[in-house]
Amino acid sequence: MKKFLILILLPNLLFAELLLEITKGSENPYRVAIIPFQGTNSSVNIIVEVLKSDLIRSGEFFILDEEMLLSIPSNIEEIKPSEWKLLNIDFIVLGNVIDEENSGLKATYQIYDVNKKNKIRSSTVFGIPGKLRQLSHYISDGIYETVTGIKGVSATKILYVNEIINSTDSDYILYVADADGANEQVLLKSSEPIISPAWSPDSKKIAYVSFETGMAKVFIQDIGTGERELVLLNDNQISSPAWSPDGKLLSLTLYQDGNAEIYILNLLNKNLTRLTKHYSIDTESSWSPKGTKILFTSGRSGAPQLYEIDLTKFNIKPMRLTFEGNYNAKGSYLPNNEGIVFVHRSSNQFQIALKYFNENFIRPLTESKMDESPSVSPNGNVIVYAITDNTSGMIAGVTLSGATFVLPATSGKVREPAWSGFLR
Amino acid sequence: MKNNNKLIIAYSFIGLFVASCSSVQVTEEAVYEDSIQSIEVSSNRSESSTPMESKAVLANATVYFEFDSFNLSTRSIQALKSITELMQENSAIEITIAGHADERGTREYNLALGQRRAESVADYIVLKNISRSRLTIKSYGEEMPMSSSSNERSWARNRRAEIN
Repeated sequence: MKKFLILILLPNLLFAELLLEITKGSENPYRVAIIPFQGTNSSVNIIVEVLKSDLIRSGEFFILDEEMLLSIPSNIEEIKPSEWKLLNIDFIVLGNVIDEENSGLKATYQIYDVNKKNKIRSSTVFGIPGKLRQLSHYISDGIYETVTGIKGVSATKILYVNEIINSTDSDYILYVADADGANEQVLLKSSEPIISPAWSPDSKKIAYVSFETGMAKVFIQDIGTGERELVLLNDNQISSPAWSPDGKLLSLTLYQDGNAEIYILNLLNKNLTRLTKHYSIDTESSWSPKGTKILFTSGRSGAPQLYEIDLTKFNIKPMRLTFEGNYNAKGSYLPNNEGIVFVHRSSNQFQIALKYFNENFIRPLTESKMDESPSVSPNGNVIVYAITDNTSGMIAGVTLSGATFVLPATSGKVREPAWSGFLR
Repeated sequence: MKNNNKLIIAYSFIGLFVASCSSVQVTEEAVYEDSIQSIEVSSNRSESSTPMESKAVLANATVYFEFDSFNLSTRSIQALKSITELMQENSAIEITIAGHADERGTREYNLALGQRRAESVADYIVLKNISRSRLTIKSYGEEMPMSSSSNERSWARNRRAEIN
C-alpha cells in the first residue's frame, strides 16, 4: 500500500515545471515548531513537507528543523512552554491525518501559543484523494491567518503566460498554477501572443488578450468548461480587460477612433460606456477594491503616468496620482485601498514600486532592470511580477515585509502573472 | 480545438465554521478544487496574409521611431512617399500597417504605442489623398520583436511600423 501511494505522489512533487523558491525571508519571522503529524495515512510526511514549504515561502515564518525539537508532545497537554522558550519558539503546531472511510483524508491541527500558554486554534480539513498539496495549502492558510491575523494565500492560484520559442516561431501558453507554482495546467495554447490575463472576482472565469485573429482581441474563458467568447464583435483592436469587483462590468481599452481609450462594458446587456476622452493614450485600467474608482495609465502629460477617475462623481477630470519620474504605468490598488502598485522607471530601469496614499513619495520594491506586470495577492501582502528581457523571463515576488522569491522557468519566457482571489 | 477532459472532482464545500470560544479559533472546511479545461487555437494569419501579398508586392516598407514616440522622421517620410505614389498609381493596392514597440515599458502601453505609430503612418498616407478604407491599422506592441537582444540597437530596430 505504501509503495503504491509513493508511486502516485512522486510525479506531482518532482515534475512540477515551476516551483517557488524563497530568496530572502522576512527579517523578523514568526518562529514556529511543527511537530511531526500523527495518523494512519501513509502520505502524512508529504503533507507536512508541503505545509512547511508553504509557510517558509510566505517569507513570514521560520520553521524549526525537526532535529532541533527537544521533545515530541503528542497533545497540547504535554507541551512544556519553558522548553520552547529556550528555542525562542512562538507557536507550536500539532496535527494528524487519517483516512476517512470511503472518502478522502481528514486532517486536524492545533496551534499552541507559547507566550500565552494556551491553544489558539483547533481545525479540521477534509481533503480529496490525489490533491494532497491542496490539503497542506489549507492547513498553511489556517496557520498563517491565526498567527499573522491576515488571510493566507497558499490555497490561491496564479495565471501566467509562457512563450516557448521554436526554431521559426513561438507557442504561447496560458497556464494556471497553484500559488507555489505546482500543479500547473494549460488553459490556452496558441500560435499567436497572449497578454493581460485577468481573473473574474469569483475566480471561475478569466479574460485575456489574444492575437489569434490577427489583431488584439479580448476573450472571456470559463476555466471549468473551457467555453470562450469574444467580448465584443467589431473590427477594432480591444485590450487590457479588468473585472469590476462585483463581476458585472469589464473595463477595456478600445481603439475605436484609432486611439486607446477606456470603456466599461456591461457583461449582461453588452452596453458600452466611454470613460476617457483624450488624444493621448489611455489604457491599463484597474478597479478600486470597492469598484468606485478606476486607475489607469495615460500619456496626457507627455509620458505615461497614473490617473484615477472617481465613478461616483459625474464628469470629473481624472486626477493624476504619480509625479516622480517620467514613466509610471500598469497600476493596481492594494486590496485595503491604502495605496497602488505599479511599474516605475528610474534611471533607465523599470522597477515595481508602491505608493501609499498617505505618503508623498514612492517606494521601489524591486531592483532588476526590466520588471513588469505587478499583480497583488488577495491578502495584499505579496506582489508577483515578471522579470523579463527579450531572451528570458521568470516570475518573481516580493512581500511587503521584504521577503523575496522567484518562480524559475525551466523553459520558455514566463511573464504576465495574475493572482486569483481567495478560493477557500 | 482540443479538449482534455481532466478529472472532474465535484466535491461539495462542506463549510467553514468559525467559532470563538475562549479565544480558540475552531474551524472545519473541505478542500475545494475546480475542474480545468485546456484549449488550443491556431491563427488564421497565414491564410489571410497570402492574398494581401499578391495584391501589393511592392508596397511594403518599415519605418522606425524614437523611444515612447510616434512622430515620423524625415527618413520615414521619404519611405512613405514611395508607398503613397504606388497607391496613387494603382488603386487596387490595399495595405496593412502594423505598429510595434520595443520591450521596455508595459505591454499594454506598448500595444497602444504601436497603434499610435501605425496611425501616424496612416495619417500621412491619408493626407496624400489615399482613402482610409484601403488601410488596415493594427498593433503588435512589444510582442513581435524584429531583433531579440536587449540593447539600444535592437530596441531601435523594434520600434517600427511595418507596411505591407
